[in-house]
Amino acid sequence: MKTQNIYFNPFLMLLWKEIRRYCKVLVQTVVTPGINSSLYLIIFGVSLGGSIDVGLEVPYLAFLISGLIMMSCLNNSFANTSSSIISGKFSGDLEDLKVVPLSKQQIIWAMCLGGITRGLVVASVALTVGQIFYYSQYGEFMEIKSPFSLAFFLLGGALAYAKLGMFVAFLAKTFDQMSAVSAFVLQPLAFLGGVFFSLNNLSPFWQKISLFNPVFYLINGVRHSILGVSDVPPLSAAVVTVLSLVIFHVLVLVTLSRSEFKRW
Amino acid sequence: MHKPLEILNLSKNYGAFKAVDDVSFALEEGEIFGLLGPNGAGKTTLISCVVTLENMTSGKVKVFGDSILDKPKETKSKIGYVPQEVVNHGYFTVEEILKFYSGFFGILRNQEKIDYLLNRLSLDVHRNKKVKQLSGGMKRRLMIAKALVHDPKILLLDEPTAGVDIELRNSLWDFVVELKKSGTTVLLTTHYLEEAEELCDRIGVIHNGSLRKVGRTSDLIQDLTLRKLEMQLSGKNKEFNSKYLVSQCEESIELEFPSNLEIGEVVKDLDLDWSTVKDIHLKEGSLEEAFLRILNENNANNSTNNSVERDC
Repeated sequence: MKTQNIYFNPFLMLLWKEIRRYCKVLVQTVVTPGINSSLYLIIFGVSLGGSIDVGLEVPYLAFLISGLIMMSCLNNSFANTSSSIISGKFSGDLEDLKVVPLSKQQIIWAMCLGGITRGLVVASVALTVGQIFYYSQYGEFMEIKSPFSLAFFLLGGALAYAKLGMFVAFLAKTFDQMSAVSAFVLQPLAFLGGVFFSLNNLSPFWQKISLFNPVFYLINGVRHSILGVSDVPPLSAAVVTVLSLVIFHVLVLVTLSRSEFKRW
Repeated sequence: MHKPLEILNLSKNYGAFKAVDDVSFALEEGEIFGLLGPNGAGKTTLISCVVTLENMTSGKVKVFGDSILDKPKETKSKIGYVPQEVVNHGYFTVEEILKFYSGFFGILRNQEKIDYLLNRLSLDVHRNKKVKQLSGGMKRRLMIAKALVHDPKILLLDEPTAGVDIELRNSLWDFVVELKKSGTTVLLTTHYLEEAEELCDRIGVIHNGSLRKVGRTSDLIQDLTLRKLEMQLSGKNKEFNSKYLVSQCEESIELEFPSNLEIGEVVKDLDLDWSTVKDIHLKEGSLEEAFLRILNENNANNSTNNSVERDC
């Protein structure tokens, strides 16, 4: 029996399409980030890690794993929504979303939930790879101190970055603009966001600069959830996460209302 | 009873340029309406405003009485839209695309309809191919299948046969007629005027953004074109004199006259010896002539002159 529900089913189908899209190219979307995480762990965690002290009374490998999990999660949530929109602009199927019964809010939430699933899958791969490295170094698995807090920061960070990905991709007029934002804004924020180092490793000037980097809070939220220690209090991290969610949601909603869905 | 689609005073400006200028018309249920106009006339912009791809500057679009801006979900679910340009879908296959599109219109289980459309549009054997693996004609047919997965009450076809060979064009038009018979209301744009004449119940002509004429296809042709009467004569003939005469050669004459005149009235001034008439050929006006006359209103009066201008 064919039933039609124009209020909820379009949302479900867009979410399903977003998930199917990255599942079609799993090597690119999941395996490659997993290999990248492994390389970081080999180079920084296993090889150089013994000589680095982050001053938080945890092994450097554990410090690095927690940072890598969040970085992978953020990058992939961003990549999923942004590449979906950019490729849709290029091929023309972004127009489809405008002519079918989908509201702006449904488009935002379906695409973002698709981005979150990819962020969480890649974060899980990073966690698994990290645990394997940790076990090989210390003979035991790394304990996660607060799973609920971890879920909050991973979900919140992934959602915020998925929205950011939509915002940037809708604004972008060319591929160049899109990659410029990634190369000049997002990657520096991520790499300087405390994945590889603690505030204790920085001079007072750079310590102050780091505190203005929102990614620093998102990463430390995850670090505190896993290790029980971090450079900033978890409450500050939670506030920055919620603020990021609200700000990016408003930005993407405004952009969606004003942007064209037309092809390049 | 609400009309399937009502366009009320729709305007779309790009800065100072008026792409669509105060256009109003409505579709009647179950008809095929042809929106004709030269390139850049505003046809695609108008259709884009109807499906909300473009935000209209002013005006209103109603679908079965509901405004597309006030009730977007309800109205969009009744419309099937085939864009002018073929859309690529990256990694997805033909069948997956149709499943997604069914879902976008709220139908999660739609295999029967998808199978029907794939069969009807001869895409069945290509169901597992990606768009880039299809030929131009197959891509066009996929666009049409996409627009029909949810059994829309209104189908908007923006030049669906652009760049398509004659065989496929004919089969697509046959399909459009079939849809009309099943109750679908169709709005189409095309540059193939002969096909539009055969297919469309009514025609709207748009030029420089404004709607110049709307009417039944047969009425437009009757009102705006002249019938031609050509007679083959034997022997040497006198010089005929008639206000309807447009050319005279040694063994033939050609007359042009408005459709509302009877032939007897046209030929009575000729004072013709009917025993010299070998053959008579009557040619009706075409939509193309009516279309050109609408576009060149200023020149239209010239076509009724009675000067002998045709080469023998």
